[in-house]
Amino acid sequence: MLETDRNQLHKLVEEALPELDMVIGWGQSTDSFQTTPVFVRDAKQISQLTLGPFCSQNLTGYLVKPPALDAAPKEGAKPIGICVKGCDSRSLVALIQEKFLTRERVRIFGIPCRGTVDWNKVGKLVDLSNVKSATVEEDVLVVDDSQTTHRIKLEEVLARKCYGCRYPNPLIQDVTIGEPATPRSTSIESSYRDVDRLDAKPLEERLDFWQSELDRCIRCYACRNACPLCVCQDKCIIESREPRWLTQRVGIPEKFLFHFIHAMHLAGRCTGCGECERACPMDIPVTLIKEKLNKIMEERLGYSAGLDVEAVPPLLTFNPGDTEI
Amino acid sequence: MTDEGPRSIAPADGTAADTQGIKIVGFLCNWCSYGGADTAGVCRFKQPTDLRVVRIPCTGRMDPLFIAKSLIYGVDGVLVSGCHPRDCHYAVGNFYARRRMEAFKAFLPFMGIDTRRFKYTWVSASEGQQWQKVVTEFSEQIHELGPNPGVRRQTGENSKVSTGLR
Repeated sequence: MLETDRNQLHKLVEEALPELDMVIGWGQSTDSFQTTPVFVRDAKQISQLTLGPFCSQNLTGYLVKPPALDAAPKEGAKPIGICVKGCDSRSLVALIQEKFLTRERVRIFGIPCRGTVDWNKVGKLVDLSNVKSATVEEDVLVVDDSQTTHRIKLEEVLARKCYGCRYPNPLIQDVTIGEPATPRSTSIESSYRDVDRLDAKPLEERLDFWQSELDRCIRCYACRNACPLCVCQDKCIIESREPRWLTQRVGIPEKFLFHFIHAMHLAGRCTGCGECERACPMDIPVTLIKEKLNKIMEERLGYSAGLDVEAVPPLLTFNPGDTEI
Repeated sequence: MTDEGPRSIAPADGTAADTQGIKIVGFLCNWCSYGGADTAGVCRFKQPTDLRVVRIPCTGRMDPLFIAKSLIYGVDGVLVSGCHPRDCHYAVGNFYARRRMEAFKAFLPFMGIDTRRFKYTWVSASEGQQWQKVVTEFSEQIHELGPNPGVRRQTGENSKVSTGLR
């Protein structure tokens, strides 16, 4: 099935490429199991494109972060093709909503997603340094680490965000590749299980949890850089000296404040694509912080980011009638 | 100012003497609450002395991160006050502020910070009495809660709290 989808993707990209500046997609990485972003400008590169559960990266960030598109595209510039999963498409919607992109600027290759693999989880079962090959057979991940062949249920090693996924199918797209996928979750309750689990603990334990989790943070800002909606770029207050929000001190309070800044600037905008958590080298559940804010927005204001191009993010507007949101 | 060591900031009559050094930061809008606090002062209404006031142009200027930073670094309480809804000097600033602060209030406990240490309220420039009431009540509440430990600065022995995430 993956094979036919891949062929379909190659065919569609080949047809569209003459009208496009480039196509951003996923390609096989050198280590046989991970994928790497590919920027297809030439028909010869099309064969590099791949899809499937290893394609975890959200590529939409490339559209808005340097070196990316020109802020003001030249007259008659060709659109850019991009491959998106369900969650990535929400980032696109949010970017269009906030006018960082126009819909005409992108040609969207929509890929229904059945979940992406979290290699940190696989790494706890298999020694990843010796992996010879990794393939997917239906719902089983087959990893050959040169000694044994591990057969792991895909469902056990998915990225955390995938378990509560409500939008596996792209919300905006020009073409679809493959059959639509069934959502793993259909309700708020089942989408925010991890949030509820932490919320059920007493306040002190929650503080303890975050103190020990964020203690590991090395403030590399990979989460910020990976986030497609962190668009302040070199104006980011985390690094600015005037105003000086954060110092170079290495205490936990600074790490707390950094994650508060990241989360609050995404409040009502975060689409929950999980890029921050995926990018984290210290294995900190950074997306969880934003998930809580997303849940607040959804429960109190009935708003989910990245669903509607016309909608206004709830913290960028107001309703004189709301008393307590 | 010379450094004379910790000084009592509690009133001489002994109120709030047991939790000396409690610090509350107040963010007051220039047009209403700051005036309200002034009115309370001019009318000589007795107020607790734990509050340090930061004047902001409008509650619309109120970044929830001001509150985050204060509470993370160990300020004992944060009080935000502005014009009543529909009474904003800039027409809509406090409507934006209300949404932000409500969302932030709901978010704070998730990170392990006691939401009772943060309060926002509306006081107009003529409501000196109301201001006295608000400050007194909030100050009492913070004194009950005691000093805010803030976020631990040093790396402790990694206390393992399992959330079952991994």
